[in-house]
Amino acid sequence: MGRLRARFWALWAALPQVGRDLGVTVALLALASLGCWFLLQYTGQENNSALVYVLAVVLISLLTNGYGYAVAAALVGGFCTNYYFMYPYAQFSLELAGYPVAMLSMVAISLVVCTLTARVKIQAEEAQQREQSTRALYELNEKLDREKAAIRLEKDREAMRSNILRSVSHDLRTPLTAISGAAAVLLEEDLGERNASLVSDIKTDADSLITMVENLLSVTRLQSEAAAIQKRPELLEEVAGDAVLLLRRRFPEAEVELILPQDVLVVPMDPLLIRQVIFNLLENAVRHSGAPGSLSLNLFREGEWAVTQVADQGRGLSHEVLAALAQGRDLPAQEGDASRGMGIGLSVCRSIVAAHGGSLEAENRSWGGAVFRFRLPM
Amino acid sequence: MDDTLILVVEDERTISNFICRALSSAGYKPLPAAGGKEALTLYFSHRPDLVLLDLGLPDMDGLEVLTQLREEPGEETPVIILTARDRESEKVKALDMGADDYIVKPFGVPEVLARIRTTLRHASRVSQAALGKKRARYQVGGLVVDSDSHQAFVEGREVHLTQNEFKIMELLCIHGGKVLTYDFLLKQVWGPYTSGDNQILRVNMANIRRKLGENPSRPKYILTELGVGYRLLEDG
Repeated sequence: MGRLRARFWALWAALPQVGRDLGVTVALLALASLGCWFLLQYTGQENNSALVYVLAVVLISLLTNGYGYAVAAALVGGFCTNYYFMYPYAQFSLELAGYPVAMLSMVAISLVVCTLTARVKIQAEEAQQREQSTRALYELNEKLDREKAAIRLEKDREAMRSNILRSVSHDLRTPLTAISGAAAVLLEEDLGERNASLVSDIKTDADSLITMVENLLSVTRLQSEAAAIQKRPELLEEVAGDAVLLLRRRFPEAEVELILPQDVLVVPMDPLLIRQVIFNLLENAVRHSGAPGSLSLNLFREGEWAVTQVADQGRGLSHEVLAALAQGRDLPAQEGDASRGMGIGLSVCRSIVAAHGGSLEAENRSWGGAVFRFRLPM
Repeated sequence: MDDTLILVVEDERTISNFICRALSSAGYKPLPAAGGKEALTLYFSHRPDLVLLDLGLPDMDGLEVLTQLREEPGEETPVIILTARDRESEKVKALDMGADDYIVKPFGVPEVLARIRTTLRHASRVSQAALGKKRARYQVGGLVVDSDSHQAFVEGREVHLTQNEFKIMELLCIHGGKVLTYDFLLKQVWGPYTSGDNQILRVNMANIRRKLGENPSRPKYILTELGVGYRLLEDG
């Protein structure tokens, strides 16, 4: 039985709208007619039939779409009342006194009622639609808020990471300066050879940590201001000269020859970052080439590019390093202390040069030694 | 020199420690102060000959300390700023506000001592100049700049400088050893209404260097202060 009912409702739902409305109309009219027939049979009173039909019309206008069905039902109801349920039975007559009035008023009441219900229904539908769109809007809003929050969180997280790196680097810088400075003061005094060499080691290591911290700070600066490095026109030779002075202060034994071009190279750049690049390249050559003696730092112009080239006379670069540089990969992790810091230094160079719209390359010269070269747009 | 009193304003105890130790090893008398207020108190009670001033202090802005030191009329005690590398605009501001020189952290002992020597020498020269000893001829190593005849010589050979190039060299000599900011040089040479673009100054400087036969990696006369300005390199 239950299954049958379910089947019926499924069928009902599958019917087109017109079919359903027609069904409702016919069913209710039939029910009303049956009711009137009973009333006439058992009470003999005929005046109530009009009211039964009015009730049916109200229900029809509630359950169907638009005016049409209810109006049709009102007309059918008026006709049936007259034809079947009033004297003379089974014939249409407007002759008895009051009949036309009763007929017309019944049809009129039906029409008014069905207009009113139709209007109420439309209003109810509108209210429902409003509620639905309000809810949809609300949900959309909530979704947007959630997405915004997620983006903000991601941004915050990125900023925090970079802030942490920066503040750690800052915090490292002060004690490292103090360590290196204190060691330098001690070295001025008469320590004896054994102590002096230990203190000198302390100073050397503190200094190379300082370089590393400066590299980290440069990277965080690049990351936090990626879109906006403060570029302004600088003399490349001044920046290069300063890098050489810095190197000489750190490695007094290093010999660097700075070769200037005839024309003046004015290049838009952040001078401190580019100085870091040149310093890193020179420092790499001093520490890793195996021949810290004589380096050349060459500045020249190639079309619209200003080229800076660092050449050493050492053992040259290994295939792994050359391949990694050519493909823009990070350097392979190296064994041993000799190459400590080389990878960081070079990848910092590459990101700084890239942020300036330039490129970094390396090669071995056929007669020995490695060449690092980077070009910046003028 | 043994009674040259140097006020060291630095809140990091370890840094202050090694600076003071280095100063006393070099024969100066250091006077440490850990904050801005303490620095001002010590300054007015002890009247030091030079102030080393860290710009990042816990209780006061270092620039504010500088302002208060400079408020006293006729006050010329040289001030050297200690500053972190990435606060470039701050050190230019400090120089324009009357600081004599700056040292960038992380710094080494020799650098600090060299800056102190230069600044003290410069300060004594300025007070001589204030006494009316105006100079017409400046000589630094092999470089001679003659203000009267508008001539410049390197190692006895005359160097032909344009008018602006000569003005730049003259300014560097007058303020021998002191950093001159780009802004200062631009205004002095090209007048107060020049645009902020300092490219013209840089190109002039590059030309001066070529005429003097100067290589920036081995400066003999002109030292570049990256992002700040230039100074004349005095021997020592």
